[in-house]
Amino acid sequence: MIGQIVKKQLLILLRNPVQILLLVGLPIILIAILSMALGGTMSGEAPKINLKIAFLEHGDEEEQIDRFVSDIEQSALPDEATEAIRSNTSQVAPIRILKDHIFGSDDLEAMIEFHVVEPGEREQILNDSSYTAVVEVPENFTYEALGSMVLGGAAPALQISVNDEQQLGSHIVTQILESFQEQLTLGTFLGKKGMDEAVLQVEETFGEVSIIAQKNPITTQGYYTVGMAVMNVLFIASTLGSIAFMEKKTHVFDRMILGNISRWTYFIGVFVSSSLFGFIHLLIVYGFSWIVFGVKWPDLVAFFLVTMAYAIAIGGITVLLTAISYRINSEVITNFFSAIVVTFMAVLGGSFFPIGDSSAVIRMLGNLTPNGAGMSSYLTILRGDGISEISHHLLFMFLFALLSITIAAISFPKRRAS
Amino acid sequence: MLELVDLSKKFKQNNAVKNVNMFIEKGEIVGLLGPNGAGKSTAISMLSSLVIPTKGDVRFNNKSVIKHPEPLRRVIGMVPQEIALYEDLTAEENLKFFGRIYKLKGNALKKKIDEVLDQIGLTDRRKDIVKTFSGGMKRRLNIGVAMLHDPEIMIMDEPTVGIDPQSRNYILETVKRLNHEKQMTVLYTSHYMEEVEFLCDRIYIMDQGNLIASGTKDEIKRILSAEKAILIKSNRWNDTFITSLKQDPTVNRVIVEEKEITIMVPKEINMFSSLIRIAEDAGIELNSVDIKTPTLEDVFLHLTGRALRD
Repeated sequence: MIGQIVKKQLLILLRNPVQILLLVGLPIILIAILSMALGGTMSGEAPKINLKIAFLEHGDEEEQIDRFVSDIEQSALPDEATEAIRSNTSQVAPIRILKDHIFGSDDLEAMIEFHVVEPGEREQILNDSSYTAVVEVPENFTYEALGSMVLGGAAPALQISVNDEQQLGSHIVTQILESFQEQLTLGTFLGKKGMDEAVLQVEETFGEVSIIAQKNPITTQGYYTVGMAVMNVLFIASTLGSIAFMEKKTHVFDRMILGNISRWTYFIGVFVSSSLFGFIHLLIVYGFSWIVFGVKWPDLVAFFLVTMAYAIAIGGITVLLTAISYRINSEVITNFFSAIVVTFMAVLGGSFFPIGDSSAVIRMLGNLTPNGAGMSSYLTILRGDGISEISHHLLFMFLFALLSITIAAISFPKRRAS
Repeated sequence: MLELVDLSKKFKQNNAVKNVNMFIEKGEIVGLLGPNGAGKSTAISMLSSLVIPTKGDVRFNNKSVIKHPEPLRRVIGMVPQEIALYEDLTAEENLKFFGRIYKLKGNALKKKIDEVLDQIGLTDRRKDIVKTFSGGMKRRLNIGVAMLHDPEIMIMDEPTVGIDPQSRNYILETVKRLNHEKQMTVLYTSHYMEEVEFLCDRIYIMDQGNLIASGTKDEIKRILSAEKAILIKSNRWNDTFITSLKQDPTVNRVIVEEKEITIMVPKEINMFSSLIRIAEDAGIELNSVDIKTPTLEDVFLHLTGRALRD
């Protein structure tokens, strides 16, 4: 009988072209409009990062290290202290770390074009607009840096000239160097405390930063495909909720009861219809977006898992709306859901703009809506992550569905009207 | 076969049905009459096991329907007052869906659909979507759905509301035919007196939740056997005339309408000459005077003091 209920719901939906247009056509139109109107505002739409960096050294780092060690050996420090400093210093070459382990790391290699240039080329490089930044190492940088670490005093600074025409790239290079300077200052501080080994972990810290930069960018079309799909599929819940209430209002439901159909069969029929239609709806919107806007899913298993979890959550909302409208004998809850709640959930879930970027609390609240959790999951997959990164969202959607179904089952009138 | 025993239903402060006792025997057509709000629909909802009574019991073949609704549900066909159909589906799709509810499938279902469509005269429109149907066609399909599983008992709640006379006659003839050919038991509620007079063997009359009369058509009409109705017509009435009529010691009741007055008097009274005199004294020119035998409508009026469709 559940199959008959699903078939009947499908036929009713298919016979309503306006409804179909609103459910399927509207998100597609909105994706196109929002993508065009807001294309430049999305972080994921940023041009591919390509940094061309010129690196100019006014001095030889090895010579400065040898000179520093030699000066230490000739100082009045005790032999043990001198030996300890010599053995640690040989491992700390800030410029080598910067060149080999930061700018030359595997993680940044894809986005950085690194050129070591001679001091004589400086003017020519500064006039070359293809360069994002020119990093200059002052003449006694390493000597002073080591001295600062071991003997105290201010740490020396690198000099950077940025290309104003490449604002994003300039900003990234500046950020990298600021982080490097911070690590160097930290090294100075720790050096005063006896050259702790943590100083030597500078490169690892940078390694972690670079991983984020390597994720797949999310295009505006991708973002709004997800945003509109997760929002519009909520209308499946209100549409099927309305059909269900109409069945009560016109006594069709009574006919089913008189046919000895269990009200739980009907309840499950509504749930299955809604979950199935929600699943199909999402596939249609994503399929269209794939064909027209080129929004592809790197991990199809994760994609189908999220779609299934979200569709089940939609089924949960539908039976909840149905149960409440049957309980209060009014369609007001379904109308309120479609007119107010969907919009509120869509904004909170980030369907219109990435609202969570501005506040961790709002991001958390957004993820506590099924559409927000669905959206976060989809965006995570689009960025190239796998199931493990979305497992908490999947769990939330399943639990949300379970809670909705439980409340609906409790609310759904179990006895004949009394 | 089917009994309502001291049946009551209270919705918050509203006593919709009060201590109603009723029975229906196999093969009879029983009418349940009453104006809007009389409690007819609530009574038949309890009778058909859809609503649990506040008090009393419904018994089918001497077994409580409240405790065990399934046996009754298997043999009952319900035609609600509303069009309980999917308007976006075709007639055939509706019948197929409801047929599956009654566990019909395959050839048996197909054959039954053909038979029902023929009985309700919609074979030619089987592939059409219900929302394109006229009100009468929808009503016929509404009945057809209830006929799918060959019910022994058909409960019809005002099945002819808002339809054209042709469809109405078709429905009434169909009900008669089902009762005659299949010995189907029918409980028919209506506020159209002429339908009940045409169809029913026995009649129950409800008003404000109470059962106020019951019996065969003749028994009911005999309630008024001691009276007769004099129907007079004029272009205008005045207060003097109406007051004089009401003060006449031979008059039981006066029902005034725009151009028509019904005067209820004892059967043996001949008030023709006094009526003419009262009219002359009041300056009223009578267009016609007609003496009627009582109808069920008159009985209802007598019992409740108001017309059925008020």
